[in-house]
Amino acid sequence: MDFFSGGRRWRSQKPKRREDAYTPGRKFLLLHILIALLFAILTVQLVRMQVFQSDDYQAQAEDNRLREVQVLPMRGLIYDRNHTLLVENVANYSAVIVPADLPTKEEAAVFARLESLLGIPAQEIAQQVRERREDGNPYEALVIKDELDRDTALILKELTSYLPGVDLQVETRRNYLSGDLTAHILGYVGRISAEEYAASKDGGYVLNDQLGKTGIELVYEDMLRGEPGKKLVEVDASGRQQDVLDSQTSQPGQNVMLTIDLELQRRTADILREFMGASDNAAAVVMDVDTGEVLAMVSLPSYDNNLFSETLSQEELDTLLSEPGKPLVNHAIAEMYPPGSSFKPITGLAALQEGVATTSTTIVSHGYITVPNQYDPSVVYVFHDWAALGPLDFYGGISWSSDVYFYYLAGGKQDEGFQGLGEERLARYARSFGLGEPTGVNLPGESAGLVPDAKWKEQTVGEMWYVGDTYNFGIGQGYLAVTPLQLLDAVVAIANGGELLRPQLVKEVRDCHDNVVATFAKEIRRRLPVDEDYLAVVREAMRQSVSTGVAGSAKVPGLEVAGKTGTAEFGSPEEAGGYDTHGWFVGFAPYEDPEIAVVVFVQQGGGFANAAPVAARIFDYYFHQRYVAEQEAP
Amino acid sequence: MIQWRTVRHLDPWIVLVGLALAGFGALLIYSASLTSYPEGIQGLSHPTVRHLTFAALGLVVVGLVAWLDYRLLGQITPTLYAVALVLLVGVLVVGTETYGAQRWLNFAGLSIQASEVAKLLVIIVLAKYLADRQLEIGQLRTFLGSLAIVALPTALVFLEPDLGTAIIFGAAWLGMVAVAGVRPQHILAFLATLALSTPFVVVALMGDYQRERIATFLNPALDPLGGGFNMIQAEISIGSGGIFGKGLTEGTQTQLDYLQTPTRDYIFSVLGEELGLVGALLLFALFAFLLFRGLRTASLARDPFGRLIATGIVIMILFQVFINVGVNIRLLPVTGIPLPFISEGGSSILMLFVALGLLESILLRHKQIEF
Repeated sequence: MDFFSGGRRWRSQKPKRREDAYTPGRKFLLLHILIALLFAILTVQLVRMQVFQSDDYQAQAEDNRLREVQVLPMRGLIYDRNHTLLVENVANYSAVIVPADLPTKEEAAVFARLESLLGIPAQEIAQQVRERREDGNPYEALVIKDELDRDTALILKELTSYLPGVDLQVETRRNYLSGDLTAHILGYVGRISAEEYAASKDGGYVLNDQLGKTGIELVYEDMLRGEPGKKLVEVDASGRQQDVLDSQTSQPGQNVMLTIDLELQRRTADILREFMGASDNAAAVVMDVDTGEVLAMVSLPSYDNNLFSETLSQEELDTLLSEPGKPLVNHAIAEMYPPGSSFKPITGLAALQEGVATTSTTIVSHGYITVPNQYDPSVVYVFHDWAALGPLDFYGGISWSSDVYFYYLAGGKQDEGFQGLGEERLARYARSFGLGEPTGVNLPGESAGLVPDAKWKEQTVGEMWYVGDTYNFGIGQGYLAVTPLQLLDAVVAIANGGELLRPQLVKEVRDCHDNVVATFAKEIRRRLPVDEDYLAVVREAMRQSVSTGVAGSAKVPGLEVAGKTGTAEFGSPEEAGGYDTHGWFVGFAPYEDPEIAVVVFVQQGGGFANAAPVAARIFDYYFHQRYVAEQEAP
Repeated sequence: MIQWRTVRHLDPWIVLVGLALAGFGALLIYSASLTSYPEGIQGLSHPTVRHLTFAALGLVVVGLVAWLDYRLLGQITPTLYAVALVLLVGVLVVGTETYGAQRWLNFAGLSIQASEVAKLLVIIVLAKYLADRQLEIGQLRTFLGSLAIVALPTALVFLEPDLGTAIIFGAAWLGMVAVAGVRPQHILAFLATLALSTPFVVVALMGDYQRERIATFLNPALDPLGGGFNMIQAEISIGSGGIFGKGLTEGTQTQLDYLQTPTRDYIFSVLGEELGLVGALLLFALFAFLLFRGLRTASLARDPFGRLIATGIVIMILFQVFINVGVNIRLLPVTGIPLPFISEGGSSILMLFVALGLLESILLRHKQIEF
């Protein structure tokens, strides 16, 4: 109090004060009040902020400094059935921007610096940042460029301390060790799309995240992905991490072991490539007859799925999409073709089971049969055989692949009083062999194929069903269409005594400590509605087809192969009157106790010339060369 | 020049409180500069060391200025006025720009903040003018003359642009003419004119820079990552400090770089966050005490010249504190004004000690008449 009242301690001053000419007392009182008033105003505001609203501000300060960061798990690996690694994770350095951490005023300078380092126009970066801000996710990192080389990554790492908002992100990238050899099976991973992100926001994905886009990578995404971890970090105003306050480690993804035998896959691809000639595409699948495990699945041409791990340019993608062989399509499962004569064993089994034919039913092929128009008998349709094969019994019909024989079994011959199966029964049997429905193989994009019948034709084509349609159906022509895998699965059922199996691609799944977490047992879709004896008849007929019939090019010395070729006509007739053809072979070996079955499809090829020799080489490798290799292995 | 016995008239509290504030400032500068100097004090260039060095220099300056008879200054006011104007024009022509305003003059290796020096010079010139016209103080001519003296430097400061210092010039003038005894009618008429012309000033004279700041002040959410960012972060810092603060060097906002210029214009936010309401009230108490001692000096002054200088200095410091803290706690729009004795900055702290020296000089001579 004493200090403020002024000068009482200077006693000598007192009397003089009264004589002082100036009387400023009242004004100084006002100034005292002014000082008190201004500090009071400040104090009131401070009390409001620091006492009454402090909790609120504290929450905001915590919001500022704490950020929850996802720690992405290490993606699971994929092996073949012999523990050969098919894909590994390698480091991928990318330059990212967190828009919220950019300094508003010097944003342009940051972009310019990035342009000179990364070669991406500053305007383009600014545009992307603007879009991300408009999306309302300014805290999510935006990838400006990935696949940086090591040197650039190191420079960027140095620069991040001077360029707020810019960061070097180290991610893992998939490196597919077998590239195009297994591309159709493994598929690839890619950046999560806006729709996928929206759909799986609670699934632990972040923007820029990677996920399986197709193939095993897509189907087994949940197992391969692993559990993301979390980190609670303290960040400074520029978003740079200062301290980790809490962390919850990520759980690595599980490893998937395929049923594929990589070496067999490689041989199959090599052999198929050799025999496909100038064909646009070809496919071959090898399956274990007892379990339905797919040992090899090749579709040519293929593509290098590593292209998708990096940023694929639009030109590269366009090239892949515009190639006539459609390399991105897995022709073993995704497209359907008329099976041609390779379908005859199914027609034959239906005929035996329905009593339309017996093993001794003999039909003479004069090289064609005729059918009069049902309204105008003077109009006669002619259906050709590939040769005048003379009298044939059931075995001969299959082994010589007589079209006339199967015209009779399928459509009958009314003027001779021979009752055929008819389209309804034929379609029913075809479906019971799994045609016209997906096999359920664990790959995306499988085609269901097509089994026609009268109702289907009326609805789709808008025409009635003719006997000629049944004839074509009986020899695997016309509207019938199958995928190579469907045909193989049907023949596997014939070979294993009637079990229609679900094709398996994955043998087991193991966690990161190599404990088995799931095994895939054989899965029987249904039993064929055909007696075991008739299956044996058809197997024998198929054996004869290879040993003495038209499938001779599938012969393997020292091995009894049973099989059926097909040369399916498609498209419109050529000028010479013939058709373009697909070549098929489907068969199994050894005949006595079938182990594996093989389907080979060569677009614009022949069954005998192109498809059957491929199967022969595959059987030869599998039973003769691979065995030696396995004996030598430890 | 002075009798040794008169030394007892010196007010030790003025110097002690000035040094206490500078020490307080050094602590806060130390904490606020940890992000730039994570190793702490390692050399003489550290802001804390520089601040304390300036304070020590300030002590010498107080002695020198106190020893000097302030009345001598009254004889050279035209020169002082000229120096002030040269500094302010110079800063506009060759000044260094920071944060959108030209404030610094680089002179012989020193950075001088021109307006800090000019403030004190203009106060002296104005005091002399008013003191010389005690008899005709009621005349309009005197009033307008004093207005003219202050208007020119105010306009120059305004052009930098430095609205805050311009307001301080105005406030100092208003306080001084009131204490000098001009007619209240003149003051009221002037204030009325000012109020009526405000819209014109906003539209015609203010730069985009100033209008933007005012718009941002009214609604910082308009630009939460830009200009509004500093205001919001300062507010969060102070509010989150609570009653006792988070502890010196423990403030998350300060230490994680959320404050812009935390050693200068936003040093009060550092105080608010780390020392809380208690620290702020301690600061207010020190300032209030210093200002009351200043008013005591004014009331003891032997002549109107001294009294008016003391009044001008008190008002200058008072408004600097009010505007700086007001900006920090979002009572006022953003304008860059250092917190006296606390903020980093040599020109500011030295000129403040010169001001304290003038107060002592006035006290030292108020009883010369005794002899």
